[in-house]
Amino acid sequence: MRRLACACAASLLLYAAVFAVLLDRPLSLGFLRAQIEAKLARGAAVASPKLVILAGSNGPYSHRCETIEPLLHRPCVNGGVAVGIGLDYLFTRWEPLLHPGDVVYLPLEEDQYTRSRAATAVGPDAAIMLRHDWATLVRLAPDRWLGALFAADLRGALSSLIEMGLVATRFHDPRGETTGSMNEWGDHVGHTVALASVSVPVLAAANPLHVSAAQVRAGEGTAMVVDFLAWALAHQVRVVGGLPTGFADAPIPDATVAAIAAVFSAHGGCFLLLPNRSRYPRSAFFDTPEHLNEPAQIAHSRTVAMALRDILDSE
Amino acid sequence: MLFNSTPFILGFLPLCLAGFFLLGRWGNARWALPWLVGSSLFFYGWWNPPFVLLLAGSIGGNYVIGQRILHHAMAGRRTAARGWLIAGLVLDLGLLGWFKYANFLWHVLAPDQPALHVFLPLAISFFTFQQVMFLVDSYRRDRDDIPPLPYAAFVAFFPHLIAGPIVRPRDIIPQFRNPAIVRPNRQNLAAGLTLFLLGLAKKLVLADTFGSFADTGFNAAAAGESLTFFEAWYATLSYALQIYFDFSGYSDMAIGLARMLNVEFPLNFNSPYQARDIAAFWQRWHITLSRFLRDYLYIPLGGNRRGEARRALNLMITMLLGGLWHGAGWQFVLWGGLHGLFLVTHAQYRRHFPPMPGPLAQALTLLAVILAWVPFRSAGLPAAWSMLRGMAGANGIALPQMIVHAIPPLALFATPVPVLPFLGDARTLSFPEVSACLLLGWFIVLRLPHLQAQSPRSRDWALTAGFALAVQALFFAPNVAPFLYFQF
Repeated sequence: MRRLACACAASLLLYAAVFAVLLDRPLSLGFLRAQIEAKLARGAAVASPKLVILAGSNGPYSHRCETIEPLLHRPCVNGGVAVGIGLDYLFTRWEPLLHPGDVVYLPLEEDQYTRSRAATAVGPDAAIMLRHDWATLVRLAPDRWLGALFAADLRGALSSLIEMGLVATRFHDPRGETTGSMNEWGDHVGHTVALASVSVPVLAAANPLHVSAAQVRAGEGTAMVVDFLAWALAHQVRVVGGLPTGFADAPIPDATVAAIAAVFSAHGGCFLLLPNRSRYPRSAFFDTPEHLNEPAQIAHSRTVAMALRDILDSE
Repeated sequence: MLFNSTPFILGFLPLCLAGFFLLGRWGNARWALPWLVGSSLFFYGWWNPPFVLLLAGSIGGNYVIGQRILHHAMAGRRTAARGWLIAGLVLDLGLLGWFKYANFLWHVLAPDQPALHVFLPLAISFFTFQQVMFLVDSYRRDRDDIPPLPYAAFVAFFPHLIAGPIVRPRDIIPQFRNPAIVRPNRQNLAAGLTLFLLGLAKKLVLADTFGSFADTGFNAAAAGESLTFFEAWYATLSYALQIYFDFSGYSDMAIGLARMLNVEFPLNFNSPYQARDIAAFWQRWHITLSRFLRDYLYIPLGGNRRGEARRALNLMITMLLGGLWHGAGWQFVLWGGLHGLFLVTHAQYRRHFPPMPGPLAQALTLLAVILAWVPFRSAGLPAAWSMLRGMAGANGIALPQMIVHAIPPLALFATPVPVLPFLGDARTLSFPEVSACLLLGWFIVLRLPHLQAQSPRSRDWALTAGFALAVQALFFAPNVAPFLYFQF
């Protein structure tokens, strides 16, 4: 029995050491981490009052601070990265950089409202924090510490070895040439109509699913948004909710839209509902049902900027 | 209740073990065995309480009939014994036939009529076969006269109740009658727990990983999508690993649980993918089912005692019924038929030709087994055909454009696409990730000995490698998949 206990203890120690110190995913998680840090660095560098856009990947792909900033006459940072990044992590990183008078626009993806705490606890930010950012990890709830410690599985271990091997052999990452890159505002740029052509069949076949109003109301992500709204209210930071971009032929149900709007309006924020509800034809998208292509991104950003200006001017 | 669930591991198992050994210490087997039977019925009822009545009724009915058969057989009244045996078999197989095959047969005979919607009770295939063995062994006088409690413990014993191993009454019932069974044995507890944890790791870490890859491909084929070469092969190779790690992991857990309770179960998987011919494969894959089919179907049909043609027919019948036992669907019949055909071909080859070189024989056996998994896993015959077309390259060979961009010679045979939508998570790095997982999985099954054949030191290393990953999967993975053999 002692042998068994020793083997189990050794396994846990080895696992913790390997994933906290040794293995890393420089291509996938490293890419996300570099984006997060660059956006935070801009958030810290620009003057207040500023506009910060926080969301999943529809934030940088479908919104363009480069377009919005001159229209609103205030610095803009596109802080969204990926839908899997935990909202608690995102808010914890951004709160120290937000000051009275700042505006945060949240066109969150539907899944971000309904994502469970358990799923959030083992998301990509968990592995990033365990390996590189213990300072943020200790500021989060204890379930996130355990989640971060046990975020990696066998696939993660093998992926780490592959990515570390590719980086060691100076693998040329072709993502810039195939999907575009990030500009200094944190926007995704270069995702042209021409590059989108390879994804036309994927987009044509995509069948986006929507969450229900009940799911939004009960969502653990919603609870994190509500906590952030309370923090923002106390710190004189304006929060404006919005809808993510999506296919015009697959609209979000009215009840779900109403539930999302209520999350903001009932907790001290306001909600921006564009006339087209952020819906566009499939031809306006790049590679997924949430990512507009570059021309559509610019057009959508103008619309958002005008609507935000109306809200800000009216108060 | 699943072996890989937290209610079982943190609740049921410790309580069951503690109750069994404490009652064993105070009241000997008189109290411990009823506790074990009661716990097993609770374990079964966790899934659907009313079906406990079916299980209990089946145990009671078979015990009474088995005792009748034995008494008549012992007294030399063969006709009466045979009559009771036939009655028992008709009842058991009738019950199995109704619950498992009524929907299927009804659909075949009256495809335009509304479905019967007969609900399949969990584990009925397994506990029916256990009791068929008991009845036949009674007729053969191949067991002792036993009281009802050890018999109930033998059938309902939770480690093998749901998905085997299918154990012979004469091997197990005497163990329940041994007074030493109720005394905790530290060595058995440690060895059993080690096997249980290693089986758990096999299931949660390996089987579920490969299961997610297999599901992506086979679900796409079922939805009418056309899979390209790598998508189809990776899904099929993943399924071959999933079903092995899933079922052998379950068997290891069952053997380990039984060992903790001082009961020895036979080996159920002996590195089957290392077999060098198809007959050897069936001596290594689901060994207890193979033995059942051999001893209770193939040999009674005449086995190989009535010439080659009859032998081939007996093999085909055995394998077709073995396939049908796995599920009421033509894909299972086809799978069984393919294996029957492989066995007949192998037998004929052995009669007329010298043995193939070992590695070639192993590769051919493995290819045959893997190809036969395609209809077995597919949602139907059209989906199986679609998958086989993809494996043959009929839908082209595609690779993620980033990989083709990085390794230009790949463009000679592969079409660059943004991502392979039916491979892994459909990310660019899914291709190398799934490739690495498959390499690891196939290395384990083709190069390493199975758990029971490993030295204690090897098992310690295996546990060191797998325990933390199993903990991760058990408590932190978003979804835990049920065992595949629960559906059979």
